[in-house]
Amino acid sequence: MKINYQDLINFLSQKPSKEDLSQKLFQLGHEHEINGDIFDMELTPNRGDCLSLIGLARDLVVFFGKSNSIDLFDDDIEPLEINFENLSPEDCPKISFLEIEIEDSKVEYKPYLENYFNTIGGNKANLFTDISNYISYELGQPTHCFDAESIKTKLTFENKECNSIFKTLLNSEVTLKDRNCVFSTNDEIISLAGVMGGASTACSNNTKKVLVECAYFNPESIIGKSVKYNLISDAAHKFERGVDISSQEMVLRRFVKVTQDHAKIKSIKLKSISEGHTQNFTIPIDVDKINKILGTSLDINEYLKHLKGLGFEISNEIKAPPYRHDIKTNNDLAEEIARVIGYNNIKSAPINLKKITNDSNNKVAKLESLLVNNGFAEVINFPFTSKKKKESINIDNPLDSNRNNFRTSLRDSLISNLLYNERRQKESIKLFEISDVYTKDIEIKQQKKLGLIVSGRVGNNHNDFLKKLDNKYLNNLLITNLNEDVFEITEIDRNSLDTKKKDKIYYIETFLEDIPKSFFLNLRANKKAINFVSYKPVSEYPSSTRDFSFLIDDLHRVHAVITLLDEVSDELIKDSFIFDFYKNDKTKIVKLGFRCIFQSNLNTLSDIEVNGKVKEILDPILKIEGVSIPGM
Amino acid sequence: MSDLDNINPPAISNEPGSLHPINQTKDYLLKLLADMGFKEVHGPEIETEEFNFDMLNIKKSHPARQMHDTFYAEGKKNVLRTHTSPVQIRSMLESKPPIAFTSAGKVYRKDDDATHLPMFHQVEGIYVDENVTFANLKHLIHQILHELFGDNVQIRFRPSYFPFTEPSAEVDILSESGKWLEILGCGVVNPVVLENCNIDSNKYSGLAFGLGVERIAMLKYGVNDIREFYKSNLDFLAQFK
Repeated sequence: MKINYQDLINFLSQKPSKEDLSQKLFQLGHEHEINGDIFDMELTPNRGDCLSLIGLARDLVVFFGKSNSIDLFDDDIEPLEINFENLSPEDCPKISFLEIEIEDSKVEYKPYLENYFNTIGGNKANLFTDISNYISYELGQPTHCFDAESIKTKLTFENKECNSIFKTLLNSEVTLKDRNCVFSTNDEIISLAGVMGGASTACSNNTKKVLVECAYFNPESIIGKSVKYNLISDAAHKFERGVDISSQEMVLRRFVKVTQDHAKIKSIKLKSISEGHTQNFTIPIDVDKINKILGTSLDINEYLKHLKGLGFEISNEIKAPPYRHDIKTNNDLAEEIARVIGYNNIKSAPINLKKITNDSNNKVAKLESLLVNNGFAEVINFPFTSKKKKESINIDNPLDSNRNNFRTSLRDSLISNLLYNERRQKESIKLFEISDVYTKDIEIKQQKKLGLIVSGRVGNNHNDFLKKLDNKYLNNLLITNLNEDVFEITEIDRNSLDTKKKDKIYYIETFLEDIPKSFFLNLRANKKAINFVSYKPVSEYPSSTRDFSFLIDDLHRVHAVITLLDEVSDELIKDSFIFDFYKNDKTKIVKLGFRCIFQSNLNTLSDIEVNGKVKEILDPILKIEGVSIPGM
Repeated sequence: MSDLDNINPPAISNEPGSLHPINQTKDYLLKLLADMGFKEVHGPEIETEEFNFDMLNIKKSHPARQMHDTFYAEGKKNVLRTHTSPVQIRSMLESKPPIAFTSAGKVYRKDDDATHLPMFHQVEGIYVDENVTFANLKHLIHQILHELFGDNVQIRFRPSYFPFTEPSAEVDILSESGKWLEILGCGVVNPVVLENCNIDSNKYSGLAFGLGVERIAMLKYGVNDIREFYKSNLDFLAQFK
């Protein structure tokens, strides 16, 4: 909701600067951004009463005092004879109708109305609709304007089962389904109550006689309709959060006043209908209770002064203003007091709890340690899948049809993770995930699963470079003391996958409860303390790999070469390692294979850039006597 | 022994893998809260509306219950929990005060854009005893945030709205760039929630708080895009060894 700073300070006796106003709005819990004179407010859903100029001013008066009141039409108004029936009073306990006829609808807007449209209101529509929008901004109460000439028969409000097309005043067509609160004439729906009026009864620039409907709709009767029918509506936003149940006639008197400012009025008629008695909430005065909630030591005078400042009536009990639907208990009042004092001004007080030692050597922690110590990376995947099984939990309202079931297996997620990393030129992939999965039978069952997947090289070092991750590797890793076959290892068929790689893929998935205790006997969880390293963004540019084969015939130089290769480092070098080490007994020559992977975060590296870096790496090594790279 | 025998091959360093940074952060928060006296409790991700909403004083009309905000499952019989608070409800029903629980795990909201994911992680805590006040809450939150961001971090409390706490607050910290960053939500437990859990709200009061694990991880590691955590990119994951 946007509010003009100049409009707001009109209602405050002190005229705070934008900075002071902003600070107090934050203290009250009203988040906002400031753009010039416009405060773009983001209000919590319990404060529907603040969705207007007057609403925000009411909250700020406690700091800045009250200034102007709203100018209303005070004269007597002739009663309106209207053929109206409210068939759902529980959805609409209060409703008023105002009929105004003017002589000429083509008028020049007064500066306050013009300024509203220039700064906040957007496009003008017609005089009556524009006044309705302005009053909603000013007072927070939406009104709907019917062209009075278009309503010739009985008007009905009801919450009814619908299955019909409704054309809105913005000329969009929606199909109303299920139960909706609607206004109808002659069985034709002319307004989706609290959301948007219809095209057939909308006002135009030629409208001279308007029927203004001003109601209190039960928020629960309106909520969700705007989203359901994709009808963005300021009215729905306000009704969903609750408007002032006592303000309808006052709002219509303001409507008359603004109309009077702009046109010569021929006639005004008003009818108010109230179903049942509305009563303000009252709470006993109990400052001790407030202090007990907040941990403060307020005296009663200070307490009541703050509440009066917020518009509460104080007698032998505390009566909340009719627009404060959110105030029902002492905890609500405590929050009001805390907002006025300022949350940051309440002194903190320690609590006395004893340290707890959680079980850090449980099954999950042991598995995690085993796998991480052996080079596995843990992944976390979203649980949604298009694959439906008999036991799958079905999502009623998925993000899309590819995510309409809860996964029962981790396999597809891990295969997808593996292929993603293969596409990123990863040659040794070891991933695992431990996650709850859910299935249904008679009731929903929750079980923890381990999934792990491997493919490619065992490692980059000279011992493991030529070895492939396979069945044997996994068996060695997961062997139990008792040599049991605990884990079933599956080879995943690459033919069914979108990949040209040839390395075999092996996969294990098991419920944790199915792993025998013997497996965990000699395992220990040894998690390191967290190290919040500074993350470096991952490059999206391709890498460039260069392999070098060093021949060292002066054996005294081998150590020096290894040391230099270990120290290779540059911001363009993503990884480097010695992948081959061979001692030739006959020739007394040592051979070293070295791989360097270059990658930039800024661009795709050119051969010239890579070659430049290669030269920087090789020059000091090749200067060592007895070291060469054949063919170079 | 020949000269060759004296030549040692390059040392083979163990190439460790990594725990996921979100789980590392979650475990760190749980340890921090355990040190402060909070016992970890567990519960399901697929919940009933009763535990996810009703018991927490989230009315039928609350926007969070709409189909566009919450995932419903099995013909509206269940919801994917939108917070870990139902775990605390289940635990409170089985315990008597004083209690101090923490719950952690995956939660779900019907969002999917550059800054919101349909699944993320929360760590929440609740403490119920006699005479627990908003002042106690402030002290605890300061303790947590000083542990996380250092003794000099500037902290700001703002009024907010959660149906299960009253008063409710959101807490910001001042970043190095001078911008206030929202870091957690908290409040005094709404007496309605205590009564729903068969706890006498005239005798007992409570405090509760919830942290977004991704939010903390992003700030602590300097990750700017929340989606990075869920790409399973080894170049990303390998940084958190």
